Amino acid sequence: MSEAIPHLVVRSVSKKYGPTTILDHIDLTVRRGELVTLLGPSGCGKTTLLRAIAGLAQPDTGKVELAGRDITNVPPHKRNVGVVFQSYALFPHLTVAGNVAFGLKVRGAAKREIDAAVERALSLVKLGHLGGRRISALSGGQQQRVALARAIAVEPDVLLFDEALSALDRKLREEMQVELRRLLQEVKATAIFVTHDQDEALTMSDRVAVMNKGRIEQLAEPRELYLRPASLFALNFVGLSTRISGTVLAADNGKVDVETGVGRLSALGNFQAGSSVIVAARPEQLRISEQGEANSAAGRVRSVVFQGSRTLVEVDAGAGESLLAELSGRDGAVPRVHDEIRLSWPVAETFAFPMEAQV
Amino acid sequence: MARTAIVVCWAMAIALALFLLAPLLVIAAASFSPTPVFDLPLTGASTRWYGKIGRLDGFWPSLLLSLQIALLSTAISLVCGTLAAIAIARGKLPGADIFATALVSPLMMPGLVLGIALLQGFRAVGFTAPWATLLVAHLVITLPYVARTMIAGLSQFDFTLIEAARTLGCTYPGSVLRVMVPALAPSFLIAGIFSFLASFDNYPVSIFLADVRTKTLPIRMLQYIEEAPDPTLAALSTLILAGTVILLFVSDRVVGLHRMAGTSD
Repeated sequence: MSEAIPHLVVRSVSKKYGPTTILDHIDLTVRRGELVTLLGPSGCGKTTLLRAIAGLAQPDTGKVELAGRDITNVPPHKRNVGVVFQSYALFPHLTVAGNVAFGLKVRGAAKREIDAAVERALSLVKLGHLGGRRISALSGGQQQRVALARAIAVEPDVLLFDEALSALDRKLREEMQVELRRLLQEVKATAIFVTHDQDEALTMSDRVAVMNKGRIEQLAEPRELYLRPASLFALNFVGLSTRISGTVLAADNGKVDVETGVGRLSALGNFQAGSSVIVAARPEQLRISEQGEANSAAGRVRSVVFQGSRTLVEVDAGAGESLLAELSGRDGAVPRVHDEIRLSWPVAETFAFPMEAQV
Repeated sequence: MARTAIVVCWAMAIALALFLLAPLLVIAAASFSPTPVFDLPLTGASTRWYGKIGRLDGFWPSLLLSLQIALLSTAISLVCGTLAAIAIARGKLPGADIFATALVSPLMMPGLVLGIALLQGFRAVGFTAPWATLLVAHLVITLPYVARTMIAGLSQFDFTLIEAARTLGCTYPGSVLRVMVPALAPSFLIAGIFSFLASFDNYPVSIFLADVRTKTLPIRMLQYIEEAPDPTLAALSTLILAGTVILLFVSDRVVGLHRMAGTSD
């Protein structure tokens, strides 16, 4: 039962700095135990939203509720949130254990209780043996774990991660993404990540909120976000795509025919005839082989980029348009640069977005 | 070529160190002179001049005054200077650079000019109580040391630490006390020491504000040397020197350890 109860509710939160709107009536509901990512470019308001939840930024309007309590006007030290900062913000004058114990000490917990919690938190992040170390003697990855242990130790109602993995190098970051997700599920934490890294968002979260200009453009599960982007912005920000501009010729029941520089294409979408649209498809939908009910376009191969499990082929389709196809190892022969090829992709996987929303 | 340059530089460094330290060694040697007139080579050693320090006319009141003024002005400067440094280091203050320069500027002003300016200024507003004027004047002397050190220290300080402490359950003032103060301990220590020393041995500013009953130790010492130049003064100087060396040595150990404990890698 409790799984379905809204745990964190953000209601119509707005925030302006001077004339600039940072958050524009944000609504967000997070269930208990859910991992949600706020994904967007810098300046989209994701960090400000996180800070509003933590109590470090006061919203101009709107409400924040956590675990059934209105915390809109509650100062950060009474919110029972755990924050992992981008810089980790570990206390340099304390040891690893001292950092992890900090929150409990401040709360006046008994020493035995503190020791037990510190040990538990440190073993959770696999640093049980480093409690006596100085912070400066740790590697970046270890510091990241200490910051996590410190936030977990107080058993917060929600864990907030502000670009928490971005300071790690790529390999370590990818390892931490998987490990962190498993760990958070293990302790049944409710968590919100802020990141500009789409891979991190797709890997770590149950749901992803794509943010742009202070608004949430789409809130969806990673798979749905990728397969059914709700806006051109969401399409662009998550994953690669082929995008071709055109004009709607005819609309019929959720499907449109679009005249483009590479020929007539069909796509999903509701538009009036004459609308300017962008037609888009994900690169793995584009095939060299013929497909049933499909769009297709021809052109000359401009580049072939081998990336291990996949090969990206960019095709110059004329009229300033290009096609991007991702060929997996199974697809047989890979074309060479300057080859003339024809690519086709299913209409059911072709989207159309209004042109004016282009960013 | 490079080798020669290095040798020359090393020689210069050693020569300069000797040049700077030699007078201090001489005064230390003189303080143990068995005769009232210091003469090399020494014909023996005596500690009797040390015993005479406490019997110098007006020594204790002057020492007490200097300690009071130095400690108080340092304490006030640490609090006020740190607050000002926070405003400057956070950078959101328009013209922060100008404020920073203004706070540090007394360092660059000749002491005599500062002394005369303060004397005239205090007279003009009818502020003449010697003890109080000395304290205010020494604030002018000590504030730049504190401001300079704390601005430097704070520019390295990650203010996210305070936010982290707040989300962990600390009130804002609590976060400052539990996180910022200990993290900045090395800066506080350095600022405090330099501020204390600058106040304790100040002569050119104090001389304008002292009166017959209110004389700081440096003023009193100059008076002794005019009245009776015997090795008692050398003994006193040696004691002050020893005290300073101990203070610096101890704080270097403390700060050194703190540095190792985290603030810088």
